[in-house]
Amino acid sequence: MAEFLQYVITGLAVGMVYALIALGFALVWKSSSVANLALGQLVLISSWFTYGMLVQASLPYWLGLPLTILFALLLGWIIERFALRPLVAQPILSLITVTLGVAYFLEGVVSFIWPMSVAALPRIFPVEPVHIGPAVVSQEYIWAAVISLALFGLLSLFFRYHRMGVAMRATADDQLAVQACAIPVTSVFSTSWMFACVVAAIGGVLISCIGGITFGLVETGLKSFSVVILGGLNSFVGCIVAGPIIGLCENLGGGYLTPLIGPGIKDIIPFIIIIIVMFIKPYGLFGETRIERI
Amino acid sequence: MDLPCGTRNYDYAKDMAILRTRTHWALFIGLLVIVFTAPLYLGNYWLGVANLIGITIIAVTGLNILMGYCGQLSIGHAGFIAVGAYTAAVLTNRLGFPFLAGLICSGFTAGFIGLIFGIPSVRVKGFYLAITTIAAQFIIIWIITHWSVTGGFVGISVPYASIGGISFKGEASQFYLIMVITAVCILFAKNLARGRVGRAFIAIRDNDLAAEVMGVNLLHYKLLAFFIGCFLAGIAGSLFAHWIGFLSAENFTLTDSILYVGMVVIGGLGTTLGPILGVIFIRLLQQGIMYISPVLENAFPGLPAGFATGVGPMVFGLVIVLFLILEPRGLAHRWGLFKSAYRLWPFSYCLDIT
Repeated sequence: MAEFLQYVITGLAVGMVYALIALGFALVWKSSSVANLALGQLVLISSWFTYGMLVQASLPYWLGLPLTILFALLLGWIIERFALRPLVAQPILSLITVTLGVAYFLEGVVSFIWPMSVAALPRIFPVEPVHIGPAVVSQEYIWAAVISLALFGLLSLFFRYHRMGVAMRATADDQLAVQACAIPVTSVFSTSWMFACVVAAIGGVLISCIGGITFGLVETGLKSFSVVILGGLNSFVGCIVAGPIIGLCENLGGGYLTPLIGPGIKDIIPFIIIIIVMFIKPYGLFGETRIERI
Repeated sequence: MDLPCGTRNYDYAKDMAILRTRTHWALFIGLLVIVFTAPLYLGNYWLGVANLIGITIIAVTGLNILMGYCGQLSIGHAGFIAVGAYTAAVLTNRLGFPFLAGLICSGFTAGFIGLIFGIPSVRVKGFYLAITTIAAQFIIIWIITHWSVTGGFVGISVPYASIGGISFKGEASQFYLIMVITAVCILFAKNLARGRVGRAFIAIRDNDLAAEVMGVNLLHYKLLAFFIGCFLAGIAGSLFAHWIGFLSAENFTLTDSILYVGMVVIGGLGTTLGPILGVIFIRLLQQGIMYISPVLENAFPGLPAGFATGVGPMVFGLVIVLFLILEPRGLAHRWGLFKSAYRLWPFSYCLDIT
């Protein structure tokens, strides 16, 4: 029982972080319908940047963590301005491929600057584990879930009330109409990319607090695609519902299937979920089915 | 048209011929002579590079049929190549199949696995398909590394290829084998693309709804594209297995899959020439980086330690992005422009660069 509860709690917490990273994807997709396949590498590079700030430059937390956010903002702006802006209104194949190119480039940058493949972040959160019923959970998980939920709430409020948030939703709806209302579509695009990078960076730091910084972070980013697919591509509600589901499946499956099937099954459960969703309900739980016209 | 003036069509067969003029024939024979005498003046190392280029051309030609002609994105191509490679390895090493039987079987196995992962393509496209194929890549590699038949993490050794009594042991003899199979695959792709099937693929790529309205069976042709693309990947995988002699899952990563997509884009989507140019460009770029990075490291001792491993992916990523922005039609289009300019000389300014 204690084991089961532990799997559930950690699964829910990790799932929240997946949902947060997936939100970064949904942001870009909703405003500019660009599929950002570089998500994993964004998670990776911002975690390494945090490592560089906190450990290599040994800055205090109050300086190092805001610098990471700044770095993510800058990265998002650069990617949008130099890789995606020139390709506005190109076919979707080019838009997907260009993010793959960016992903490849970022991976190179990471192994260029940080050649060691494994590192650990210093402990940002308190060390003592928390007892929830019979389960013992380390505090990182709790904090990860709380911070993800808080950010989710903040972003929802932003989209509901802030001018830029409303502009982003409007751009997702109809780009031409938005331009006619004198909303600068290009700055909407770059804002959405900057937000996506920040969200990916925070998700990356939370995940690497739990499991350390490895190349597996790329897979973490890719796993959050399963959240997007299960939840539906353009639904924020879908993200927050599907994230914990994926986390739960991953942890429970990893816990109980490993003795049956073999080690490493945990890492491909999200991918198996992707395939199953694709076969049964390709537009996800909350996604809208696209009706196309010639 | 890209033919010189005065090339007349007297009959239909002549119109459809690939080699139309005397110059074509002369250049083609020249190319054949250069390729098939290459072992005389290329060292073992460069023959190895040429072999890898040949194998990659087969795989990327398959991806080009899938992506360039039919418009279905696949980011799991390295996974499908792995299926072919491991099928060949298991069949020839464990079950004692002859090389040619293993080659055909691995093509079909990869084709059927590709077919399974291609089924969602009937309902979804674009990003959804990209994600499905990424998932396919991870699932395939996981199965390979955790299944006892495929050797797991340890890997599996593969005997050299042999047909009849002839064993293809050295780089030079393998070079002939690989070049012949590559040529057959290119010819197959060329004829596929200009036949009925290729036209159906192009119709699906340009607008699948319109294609369906015109009577193209989407289910049939999309799955056929997946089958052919992955069949060629399987052939390439089998050749790769026999060429490298020992397989481990590290040869088939997601990064490789991205690189294959990059090769198609750099070469030119939807052209027969594109994959050839793209593969040669990227593989030679790899060689250049491998050659130049130790030189640079010696010249500038202040470079970070990860320079040698990091500079390759950085350059490839940059090249993919730059090609998409500056020359989305790839090297094949540039080659076409060059040919037209040469033909129109000295009136090259008449060339309508679009």
